[in-house]
Amino acid sequence: MEDETFLTDDFLRQLINVGEVDILVGLPTRNNAKTIGSIVHTIQSGILGGFPRERAVIINVDGGSRDGTPELVTGISIDDVRPASNLHALRTLHSISTNYAGSPESGVAFRTILAAAELLRAKACIVMSPESVNSESDWLSKLLRPIYRDGFDLVTPTYRRHKFDGLLMTNLLYPMIRALYGVRIREAFTPEFGFSNRLGSQFLGQNGWADGTGGSGVELRFTLAAITGGYRVCQSFLGKKDHVERRAADLVPTLRQTVGVLFSALESDFSVWSKVVGSQPVPTTGSDQELLLDPMRVNRKRLRQMFSTGVAELQSVFQSILSPPTLEGLQRIAALGEEEFHYSAELWVRTVYEFAASYQKSVISRDHIIQAIAPLFRGRVCTFLGENRNASANDVETNIEGLCLEFERLKPYLLQMWKSRE
Amino acid sequence: MPLNKDALWYKDAIIYQVHVRTFYDSNGDGIGDFQGLEQKLDYLQELGINAIWLMPFFPSPLRDDGYDIADYNAVHSSYGTLEDFRKLLESAHERGIRVIIEMVLNHTSDQHPWFQQSRSSQNNPYRDWYVWSDTDTRYKGTRIIFLDTETSNWAWDPTSKSFYWHRFFSHQPDLNYDNPAVREQMWNVMTFWLEMGVDAFRLDAVPYLVEREGTNCENLPETHTILKDLRRKLDEQFTGRMLLAEANQWPADLRPYFGDGDEFHMAFHFPLMPRMFMGLKLEDRKPITEILQQTPEIPPSCQWSLFLRNHDELTLEMVTDMERDYMYDMYAESKTMRLNLGIRRRLASLLNNDRRRIELMNGMLMSLPGTPIIYYGDEIGMGDNILLGDRNGVRTPMQWSGGWNSGFSNAETERLYAPLIQDPVYGYPAVNVLAQRESEHSLLRWMQRIITVRRSTGAFGRGSIEFLYPANHRILAYLRKLGKDVVLVVNNLSSTAQAVELDLRRYKGNIPIEMFGNNMFPRVGDLPYLLTMGPYQFYWFRLRRI
Amino acid sequence: MREMIISELTQALHDLARGFAHYLPRLIVMLILAFVGWVIAYVVKVVLRSILTVIKFDKLSENAGASQLLNKAALPPATEMLSRFVFWVTWLGFIMLGVSVLGILGLQEQIARFFLFLPHLFVAMLILFFGLLAASFFSRAALLAAVNANVPSPRVLSLAVRSIIIVFILSIVFEELGLAEQTMLVAFGIAFGALMLGLAIAFGIGGRDLAQRFLEKKFVRRKKEENEDELSPL
Repeated sequence: MEDETFLTDDFLRQLINVGEVDILVGLPTRNNAKTIGSIVHTIQSGILGGFPRERAVIINVDGGSRDGTPELVTGISIDDVRPASNLHALRTLHSISTNYAGSPESGVAFRTILAAAELLRAKACIVMSPESVNSESDWLSKLLRPIYRDGFDLVTPTYRRHKFDGLLMTNLLYPMIRALYGVRIREAFTPEFGFSNRLGSQFLGQNGWADGTGGSGVELRFTLAAITGGYRVCQSFLGKKDHVERRAADLVPTLRQTVGVLFSALESDFSVWSKVVGSQPVPTTGSDQELLLDPMRVNRKRLRQMFSTGVAELQSVFQSILSPPTLEGLQRIAALGEEEFHYSAELWVRTVYEFAASYQKSVISRDHIIQAIAPLFRGRVCTFLGENRNASANDVETNIEGLCLEFERLKPYLLQMWKSRE
Repeated sequence: MPLNKDALWYKDAIIYQVHVRTFYDSNGDGIGDFQGLEQKLDYLQELGINAIWLMPFFPSPLRDDGYDIADYNAVHSSYGTLEDFRKLLESAHERGIRVIIEMVLNHTSDQHPWFQQSRSSQNNPYRDWYVWSDTDTRYKGTRIIFLDTETSNWAWDPTSKSFYWHRFFSHQPDLNYDNPAVREQMWNVMTFWLEMGVDAFRLDAVPYLVEREGTNCENLPETHTILKDLRRKLDEQFTGRMLLAEANQWPADLRPYFGDGDEFHMAFHFPLMPRMFMGLKLEDRKPITEILQQTPEIPPSCQWSLFLRNHDELTLEMVTDMERDYMYDMYAESKTMRLNLGIRRRLASLLNNDRRRIELMNGMLMSLPGTPIIYYGDEIGMGDNILLGDRNGVRTPMQWSGGWNSGFSNAETERLYAPLIQDPVYGYPAVNVLAQRESEHSLLRWMQRIITVRRSTGAFGRGSIEFLYPANHRILAYLRKLGKDVVLVVNNLSSTAQAVELDLRRYKGNIPIEMFGNNMFPRVGDLPYLLTMGPYQFYWFRLRRI
Repeated sequence: MREMIISELTQALHDLARGFAHYLPRLIVMLILAFVGWVIAYVVKVVLRSILTVIKFDKLSENAGASQLLNKAALPPATEMLSRFVFWVTWLGFIMLGVSVLGILGLQEQIARFFLFLPHLFVAMLILFFGLLAASFFSRAALLAAVNANVPSPRVLSLAVRSIIIVFILSIVFEELGLAEQTMLVAFGIAFGALMLGLAIAFGIGGRDLAQRFLEKKFVRRKKEENEDELSPL
């Protein structure tokens, strides 16, 4: 049985007081006191500017902040008890807060938002990130309007970002999701997105929350659920996404949340993706994806070195994951010097597909399979950076498109490996 | 039931606003008259009201529904004679009903002899009774009120070849209150009626009496001086009389009209009314509580006057642009329903004839701080006729029965001053006094009941108000307190059932007694007091400590 | 002579026949027992398997992580394993019963001893199995972590982890089997000590390099960051 009591009594009482709403803004936080004030303000002006007549609520789901983040959120309600706000609103705009125990990756925050959305019968919902410090108030409209006015079920954002930003997105997630699911969603895993009541309820009602598999990387699972469920998906251009500082060590957790989730989803979605041929663009408002071209100093040498070390040291692991020709290919390029080093798109696609198939077969611990991708991804990044060092935005797009087509071309290879097991 | 002697009678009053012309025609000429109204006083007494406010009945060309007065010391011949009025006054007083009449201070009709004299030549002694100018550029900062009909506050007079000042229609020239003779004359007019026994004046358009260059010519200190002077004279010469200000202004601008209790006794709370409708539509108490938070304290002898609808459009001057757009979209989809900055519709049709919402709105009218005014016909849920021009759509004949001319008049139907409402929902065969008297569940019966309950405590008329802010914003809850009398009012503005938790810890141990049925509810304890409310439901509880 | 031979032969045949006649019923009983035992064991297996299927035992063991381990050890699913085990234990029990009916001296004793030893063996096997699995799992985990953290000599680290776990597991296994406890204790002590010494030396030698890098990272980092932009994967 599903555990249905994950909402606290106090939160439920707050929800009763909020009552039915048209728009719900979910705001998962954890120690965001520094930025939360401006984010809530952005959200409020977004609602008042874009949806002054709609009933709206801001729901903060906090993962045990120790810096008073939830108090900051609830303190900025627009209602008649605290008429201090200089924003003139027709309605009461509640900001309520609840907290959960557990890690932020557990998906509890998103589950709570979904549950609240269902209980409040919110017509359109968005999740906003407390870390998107450069978010603008019109982001709300951009994410909500397609759902509220045009009947879409999921709105994923596109951003103006550096050409070397989001390399996992451009080199693996976007091409692979596009090739397998046939839908060209640029950003399937983002901290901001909008969704409809229909999609939210369906996702909330699915199995997998209680046993923990619904947790990690839930945003990506959500996007995939929208695709496989035949929901109407669109993209909306938001604006500049600030470069988030990430250490190299962040790569593995990120891979778990994205690639791991994607690989495991392939298993349950087999009946869907195995039938898809080619890919279709999704409706997009605003520009597609804008790339910034500022020069960037990246230590490609180190990336290549980590790749080579990985290939050498992890040979035993790769032997259980990769096919002999692919492994040989990797060993061959690992031995190349800096100048000749080239991790080709085809080899990269084969690598990824073989990883996916091995993941499905659980040849070794699935988590180890995901971890083993990291050095290879670094190698691919090294090549990508080299190829596009002086490339214009169009060239970069062309290269990404080429990679996508490679993923699409080699899809039968994945299917073949997949079926060989059955 | 003779009049009580309480000088603060207006605080406990429930006022019924009626135009003589619209109520009952006793002589079959198609126009209501004083004798007709007198005959219907029993009906009003039965309804439970204790004051009537008569709209202008003076001789007039009737180009602004009588607000264009051509003679202040007489009555319009259509409505009867001065003697008829005197008899009506007596009959009303015998029934404990006070009579409030209109006094239009700001302007006269252009047919008034004073203006005829004034315009006749530049040297006429009456010339200075009005505001004349050689140019139409003075007082530039002044807004135009009747946007739909007027383009300037100045009008050209071809006779005397100069411009005269008018804040309303161009056929209503403004009197010049800088002239002591005008002030003297207007006080004489008021004395005339006060001596006859009139209990109160509704002073029309008071913010506009005086003009000064470089101002917006509204709410000027000079205006207040004149009004205070009138009040002083009233207090010196008469007792138990009342002045009611019509000043469509923000609460903070309205406050000076109460002075230190030495100007007006009462003033209309204009900004509250649209916000009550807005709160109902939004299902959110915020507009209502906000405007009442912004409403300043008034002297103890003074009182707000509240209304849901009146003879004018539902005015949206005292709201923001965003709020006005919202109100238009929600309550006046069709452009024909709009007039100036307002909506020209009646209560029942504004609320889509939803009995629950009509009851809730009346419940708030009767329980918020102030003296309620009921516009004639709204007690039976009459509709309007938006095809009639200007504000005449809400000024159709009173619907007494389903019979000939709705029982209003024996005249041929064509002779009626205005067509009857005929549509299937609001028409007189469906909505009329006779039918509602017969039905126990009718709106009329319900109105009688709520007026009785309202009059059972002084807390509504005279008590203080304290808002409770339950976290559920659909619930508007407040306490009305007068001495030991404590009334808890809880309104559900939502179309759906709601649960609400009220913080009543201060009243721990009290037993809430529901005032319509005098029924007990569970005692107030330490925990938040939980109430479940049906759609648009409201409760009045008397909190009793036993 | 001939008679004697014939007589002896007859006697021997008689003895054999008598002996055979004496043992035959027992043998038949044993065979019957074995057969009945097989049938009962089979029924028990089938019943158990369906019960386990109904209560979703596989799912349970999956949640406990046992299925993955079995899977990796190329063993059948948990339900199958358990039902097979019960089948064999039941059947063997019946066969033992049959053998004891035969009344062969000595054999019974041996069988009894074997059965007493069986649980120990079983537990030891189990420990060894899971131990080896754990060793391979943790060594691989260490290897991956080291590679991704860019730590030098990941394979040495991985090998060290594997060795420690295996040595530790073996010591438990031998203790469980009760084999040369004293010797094993000493051997384990020596092996463990040697390993630690080896590691200490290895770290000592490699440590110089490591310490240098650590200090470098700590103090030269700022300079490096100025020259390098971090890449964000998302």
